[in-house]
Amino acid sequence: MRIQVNARNRGYDFEALPGEKVLYAGLRAGIDLPYECATGTCGTCKATVVSGRVCDGWSAAPGKKFVKPAANEFLMCQCAAEEALTLEVSKFVYPMEAGACVPQKCTGTICNTRALTHDVMGFALQFDEPRDFDAGQFVLLAPEGVSGYRGYSMCNFARGGRSLDFIVKRKPDGGFSQWLFGGKRDGARVETFGPLGKATFDPALGKHLLLIAGGSGIAGMMSILARAHGVQYFARHRGWLFFGVRTMRDAFFLDELNRHANQVQVTVALSEEAPPAKAPWPQLRFESGLVHEVAKRVMAGKYQDVRAYVAGPPPAVDAAIRVLLLEARLTTDNIRYDKYS
Amino acid sequence: MGKRLVCQVADIPENGLKECEAEGGLKLVVANAGGEFYGFQAVCPHQDVPLCEGLFDGSTLTCHMHLWQWDIRTGEPRGIAEAPLQRYPLSREGDALYLGTEGTALDVGELFNGLDASTLQKLAALARRETHEAGAMLYRPGDPAEDFFVLDAGRVEFLVGRGDRTAPGGFMLKKGEVFGWAALLDGYPNRIASARCLERSSLLRINGKSALGVLEKDPGAGFVVMRRLAALIARYLATSGVK
Repeated sequence: MRIQVNARNRGYDFEALPGEKVLYAGLRAGIDLPYECATGTCGTCKATVVSGRVCDGWSAAPGKKFVKPAANEFLMCQCAAEEALTLEVSKFVYPMEAGACVPQKCTGTICNTRALTHDVMGFALQFDEPRDFDAGQFVLLAPEGVSGYRGYSMCNFARGGRSLDFIVKRKPDGGFSQWLFGGKRDGARVETFGPLGKATFDPALGKHLLLIAGGSGIAGMMSILARAHGVQYFARHRGWLFFGVRTMRDAFFLDELNRHANQVQVTVALSEEAPPAKAPWPQLRFESGLVHEVAKRVMAGKYQDVRAYVAGPPPAVDAAIRVLLLEARLTTDNIRYDKYS
Repeated sequence: MGKRLVCQVADIPENGLKECEAEGGLKLVVANAGGEFYGFQAVCPHQDVPLCEGLFDGSTLTCHMHLWQWDIRTGEPRGIAEAPLQRYPLSREGDALYLGTEGTALDVGELFNGLDASTLQKLAALARRETHEAGAMLYRPGDPAEDFFVLDAGRVEFLVGRGDRTAPGGFMLKKGEVFGWAALLDGYPNRIASARCLERSSLLRINGKSALGVLEKDPGAGFVVMRRLAALIARYLATSGVK
């Protein structure tokens, strides 16, 4: 199926497989089409049909509130071309940079499933081929044969690696998480599309790192820490990590963070209880409060030459961004964020 | 339409924002920057998010959704923003704010905004206003590139290539966008693309050599325009600038 995209600056042509969503086909072809969540929530991938027809795979997608169907608008992440399609994207669109990890569709096998807390599970996906990604990126996951992708950030980092590590929080209406928590899944096949996401860290950045994570937003931060650790980044730059959870019962990765904490100042922010009197992680600091408040307190006066990464539930991310813009006065190119919605 | 009331001065908190509807129905966001009032389009040019929900520190407005930012005095994009805000000048009479006179496509345009008033006037004197119906061809590849255009209203698309071997080359849709800028460059005497109006469009047509003549007399303005032109061209030629 031929798809033509007319963007503000130029046009692009690419092929889509039958049923393949327009966004995924374009990204696979190395065209950096606009997206953020890639799963029907944020509305960033809005486009307009000029000619041809699209089939909407999820007519109730939350991101539909951003589109006007009467004006032939649609979400590229949810719609597939039914015939040769010409569409318009009212933004500047560029080819992906040389060296970018171009997203692709791949099937992996689940292994090493394990409970991290009462409602968070860790697992790995094994692939036959190397799956390169940048630290901070995510992939879309769906159990084989089940439609509807969900996005999850990788926790590890390895160039040329064949294994991706994830964490998943149990959610009452979460398609993938319900499936994962619903039985023994080691050995199950999972369809993936990725890597995706621009909240990435590259050591060439050369700035101090401020990482703020709410709950499972810690995933991408672990990948960034692994990437930085692998090149002794913190020998030259400072690092701070703030990990927000409700109570100690909700905290995980504390052993791993304790190991990073000789190079990076790690603070666990507990929003619903006082810091533990005694904890078996000597390098970690525990404070009570919402993660953006704790970060604001600890970071006051330390924002010189800082790049911030923020991930977690939308209210936590928005609150942290407010601090970073208005208190820290970071420029927007030094705030990278990922809202898990 | 006569004088259009926007709101009362007291409606807008100090260093705050509020969405207002002017008489006649135009929605805009009004900012109070230390007692100076500025009016802009009510929604973000990126994704229709209400700008009154944004963050405002008294000088920079930030859309909370994707952190696009603008200078509150001019609407010029800052940081990662890809488009300016349409500005609606406000005039204050007593305790009320009214819609002022809107800037022309030249005043608000990406190349010339903020230039010295006398230079802008000379450029405006060179401009011929043209209106074209949908489907009208403005130029074709090979045509002499003597004039450049500033879009006032409407929509213009570009095609590169000839005959049945063409590819889309982008489109213009914002007031003040400039195209046909080969007319401002040495060594590019002919068009390399075609330009066609996709809807009824109103344009300012300006002779390139004459405009350069005006800018030579005001080298400071000329330097600003050339820097902006270089950035504009880079934007069209560049691969992704996101890192």
